[in-house]
Amino acid sequence: MSISRPRRSRLATIAALVAASVLVAGCNAVDLLRPPAAVTAQGHEISRLYDIVLAIAAVVFVLVEGLIVFAVVRYRRKPSDSSLPPQIHGNNVLEVVWTVIPTLLVAVMFLLSFESLNKVDAVANTTDVRIRAVAAQFQWTFQYLAPDGQTVLFEQLAPEMAVPVSRTVHLSLRSKDVIHAFYVPQFLFKRDVVPGRENVFEFNVDAADAGQTFSGQCAELCGVYHDTMLFKVHALSPEAYDAWLQEQIAAARATPPPAASAAPGQTQIDLTAKNIAYDKTSLEAPAGQPFSIKFQNDDPAVSHNVAIRDAGGQEIFRGEIFPGIDARTYPIPALAAGTYSFSCTVHSNMTGTLTVK
Amino acid sequence: MALQSTTAVASHTGTTGHAREGGISNVILGMILFITSEVMFFAGLFAAYFNVRATAPGGWPPAEFVGKLHVFPLVGVATTLLIISSVTCQMGVWGIRRGDHTALVRSIGITVVLGAIFLVMQATDYLALYGDGVRLDAGTFGTTYYTLTGFHGAHVLAGVLMLSVVLYRSMAGQFSKEHHDMVEAVSIYWHFVDVVWIVLFSTLYLIPNPA
Amino acid sequence: MATTALTPAYAGRRAGLYDWLTTTDHKKIGILYLLNSFVLFFVGGMFALVVRLELAQPGLQFLKEAAYNQAFTIHASLMIFLFIIPILAGFGNYIVPLMIGAPDMAFPRINALSFWMLPLAALLMLSGFLTDGGAAAAGWTSYSPLAQAKYSGVGTDLWIVAVLLIGTSSILGAVNFLVTIFKMRAPGMTMFRLPIMVWTMLVTSLLVLLATPVLASALIMLFIDRNYGGHFFDPATGGNAILWQNVFWFYSHPAVYIMILPAMGIISEVLPVFSRKPLFGYKAFVFATAGIGALGFSVWAHHMFTTGAVYLPFFSFMTFLIAIPTGVKMFNWIATMFRGQLTFSTPLLFALGFLTMFLIGGINGAFSAAVPVDFALHDTYWVVAHLHYVLFGGSVFGVFAGLYYWFPKMFGRMLNETLGKIHFVLMFVGFNLTFFPMHILGLEGMPRRIANYAPGQADWTALNLLATIGGFTIALSMLPFLWNVLVSLRSGPLAGDDPWEGNTLEWATSSPPPPYNFDHLPEIRSERPVFDVRHGLGKGRTH
Ligand code: HEA
Ligand code: HEA
Ligand code: CUA
Ligand SMILES: [Cu+2]
Repeated sequence: MSISRPRRSRLATIAALVAASVLVAGCNAVDLLRPPAAVTAQGHEISRLYDIVLAIAAVVFVLVEGLIVFAVVRYRRKPSDSSLPPQIHGNNVLEVVWTVIPTLLVAVMFLLSFESLNKVDAVANTTDVRIRAVAAQFQWTFQYLAPDGQTVLFEQLAPEMAVPVSRTVHLSLRSKDVIHAFYVPQFLFKRDVVPGRENVFEFNVDAADAGQTFSGQCAELCGVYHDTMLFKVHALSPEAYDAWLQEQIAAARATPPPAASAAPGQTQIDLTAKNIAYDKTSLEAPAGQPFSIKFQNDDPAVSHNVAIRDAGGQEIFRGEIFPGIDARTYPIPALAAGTYSFSCTVHSNMTGTLTVK
Repeated sequence: MALQSTTAVASHTGTTGHAREGGISNVILGMILFITSEVMFFAGLFAAYFNVRATAPGGWPPAEFVGKLHVFPLVGVATTLLIISSVTCQMGVWGIRRGDHTALVRSIGITVVLGAIFLVMQATDYLALYGDGVRLDAGTFGTTYYTLTGFHGAHVLAGVLMLSVVLYRSMAGQFSKEHHDMVEAVSIYWHFVDVVWIVLFSTLYLIPNPA
Repeated sequence: MATTALTPAYAGRRAGLYDWLTTTDHKKIGILYLLNSFVLFFVGGMFALVVRLELAQPGLQFLKEAAYNQAFTIHASLMIFLFIIPILAGFGNYIVPLMIGAPDMAFPRINALSFWMLPLAALLMLSGFLTDGGAAAAGWTSYSPLAQAKYSGVGTDLWIVAVLLIGTSSILGAVNFLVTIFKMRAPGMTMFRLPIMVWTMLVTSLLVLLATPVLASALIMLFIDRNYGGHFFDPATGGNAILWQNVFWFYSHPAVYIMILPAMGIISEVLPVFSRKPLFGYKAFVFATAGIGALGFSVWAHHMFTTGAVYLPFFSFMTFLIAIPTGVKMFNWIATMFRGQLTFSTPLLFALGFLTMFLIGGINGAFSAAVPVDFALHDTYWVVAHLHYVLFGGSVFGVFAGLYYWFPKMFGRMLNETLGKIHFVLMFVGFNLTFFPMHILGLEGMPRRIANYAPGQADWTALNLLATIGGFTIALSMLPFLWNVLVSLRSGPLAGDDPWEGNTLEWATSSPPPPYNFDHLPEIRSERPVFDVRHGLGKGRTH
């Protein structure tokens, strides 16, 4: 088997063709290698920087990988190669070239990222939309603060945060125990929630995204149920946000209704939460009459509740969220026969089915 | 084996005591390198100490520990003894370099005793401090104090043990003017332990607080 | 004066169990390192497969969260502390004395001690599974306060003690390597004639010497916090949570170069031999290796960009800089192949695997150097992709290149080339199938260290399934490898002294080498003494 010269250049041609088609396919694949569309001004900035880094990386990758493939294809040993190839020990000009070019590339990348860091990390501290996210094993709560940045107007026990679009939101982060991280993929941003220090950052949701909901998740391993620390960010138009805010403030001022106890003769269902799980995954209740759920939360300091959704996913009941160890009796209105689901608002992985018949 | 040009290898007895190239011996070089790693170990502890000290909310030492650490009499004397022991240790080294066995045995013997006294004094000091409320779990102050001095003490203990081996071997006449790498190596270690103490002592007892 | 002390007569293959347990011969200790590390690679791989099985679908199938967290923590701890770091030390142990023409390591008994701490450490770490709270579960980074006694059980204490033992073993090993390299070189073996493999072991040992003790101090402080009421790292009692991260990464970033430099050394031996050319830019390699080692101490906080507690521009800048010496190496490796005559034996295939995959791992690491980009990527599967592209695509491919390359020297027999190629192809395909999709998962926002992810999250399910299939393909690739080793040990074709036409001194002695390694040494006039002899370039040629 002797490979003659023309054959070898044919090999090179094939390699070039393969490389070219990989490149074309690569262009289609590029979108897979880009982050999701950003929804904040800061996210757009990060996205722009990412694209530049990706472009430089792609060029470096194709070039270097191309050189490797070329060497492999072009310089295979042939049976006719009995004498040694030229014994080249090095070349100082080349060394300088491939030191200087990467240096320039990384210098460019550093300057660009430095510039964009200053934008992303800027905290003007002038807005009056001030929210404090409080993380604890294993839940998020959101405290809405007065413009002084201290007074808590009200606290959202459900891991849901409403923010106005087009206005700067000032978010401060506190941890009650271990390190967590506030992460919303569509913000292209995360920040650790470190006990003993208060981290802050600001963001501006795009006006076009009013009405959208973004999901977020704790991104720092914080213990067994780290994977259950989900939360949501609702983007509201400024008007809707203000209305919502006033509503919540009013609700917080109102005295809480007396804890309902089960009316005599009414069906009562027992349900317990422990280790971020319900003890039962299916419940049964009578159709067409009110009943109650006696809910025992056995997770110390962890908040749970019971919420009920109909088959269409519409929430028809949301019980009070409260930290363990404690109990509540939830009065449930009459339901039509059918299958419902129940879940914990704080921990969306805690679910079960409620059969009403 | 088609090796055309070969040179005979220097004899391989499998023992590795001595360097072929001259310069310092394997054992001494090994000890110096090991001490380098020890320096980094203490650097880690010191980094933690300075971090904790710099971020202590109410200044340093925290109010409840002000005036609890006393240089005199115990710690001051112990420090002096440790410094003297470095000198006696070095006298032993000089002795054996001259081939003077008596000087070696005598000096190393004194060094071992001084090291042991240091340990006893440190233990006594610990007892007193413990009674005075300075405990390992008493805030960052107690934790850093005992961790730093404790690990230094452990090194003194290791040094005393190594010196005892040296002492035993010198009494058995195993060292000579030409062959005493172990004495040299252990003495370097002992000086290192001494230097760590001086740094540690200055840090814990002397560096004043930038109010 | 050749008092070749070959008594007792060469005992090589016939050595009994007792010989192996008590040996102080660097070659046997090196082989013990390899064996021990490979066993733990398989154990660590099993944990990886458990992780992959759980993630194949959304929801919790086989494991509860508690078990999952133990699985990935022990997976990573075994792979890093008990597989990749020791196996590279194992290669160093076997090959460094041979390469510099020394009879053994400087301190043979300390060498044996360093080794025997490792199986003990492995048992300690794994025994965590027998305790009530299970094994360590705070990730291999063991961040405080999560790693405090309040949040994690005895498994974490066992983990701390195990890692301390491994660290001590590494430090003793590093002292040994350094003294061996500085003091035991054969006549003529000047520093600039040392094989690059030896240079990488030298720099690696310096990194171990300077970085590992800092980890030891951190572990001890954590242990005091956990067991004696200390207050170093828990803010709830006056400590500082970020302090742990600073000390841990001050060790662990240099440690990632401890995990790659020797593999780079292996590649730098394999590429020239199978290209029939000298290494291009020998001195550039030396300086780049030293540069990586030095820069490695100034980038640690790039793991802490999102903590809000570090000075970002400095660490970003230093992290970018580290791409430069690494790039110099990459280009020199490629230039080594240019105008050469490449023989595609299995060692070269794995070396090429290293080049192509480490390139990806290096580049996707450089993404994170751009701090705002890291705000998006940190703690997502992107980082998991990065670390496997460098550690598996780099170090593990390098390990296999070295194994296929030196196996004939170690055991006197050749491995089967066909099985080797099957191994390579399966591993290469499986590797990319497992870890490439993780880039996309990371960008789409899948955090690492989660046992469960919601169904219907974009295409997480499909990508995770792909990764799981890939993981099992890697496992499958180990079968032809194991088969190859077992069969070849007994009946592979005899290798002879120098089957690959090697360059360095280990090829000048028999396979396997006798105790104390050499009867005669060739004259050393360049960094390729055996090449010089083969081509009669003895006298007069200077490098
Ligand atoms: C073998 C181990 C190894 C190696 C060699 C590297 C090499 C590098 N690593 Fe990696 N890294 C890890 C192991 C390793 N890493 C691990 C285990 C983690 C995760 C830890 C954890 O959290 O569990 C991690 C995490 C990690 C992070 C933190 C990510 C995060 O958590 O958010 C960062 C951030 O900057 C980073 C950067 C880099 C860089 C810049 C290099 C550079 O050294 C790479 C340089 C190489 C190249 C760039 C390719 C060749 C160069 C050229 C061809 C020249 C031209 C190139 C350019 C101009 C770009 N690494
Ligand atoms: C050298 C280091 C190394 C290596 C080689 C590997 C190898 C693998 N890793 Fe590892 N991994 C890490 C280091 C490494 N990993 C680190 C540092 C982390 C971070 C942990 C943390 O967050 O704390 C991590 C985390 C990590 C995760 C993320 C977990 C999470 O964040 O939740 C995943 C997920 O898929 C994963 C998968 C794999 C797989 C599939 C392999 C495969 O390559 C494994 C291949 C399989 C085998 C080798 C099995 C052996 C063979 C058989 C079982 C069959 C034959 C056997 C016999 C006949 C006996 N790894
Ligand atoms: Cu909170 Cu992870
Ligand atoms: Cu790093």
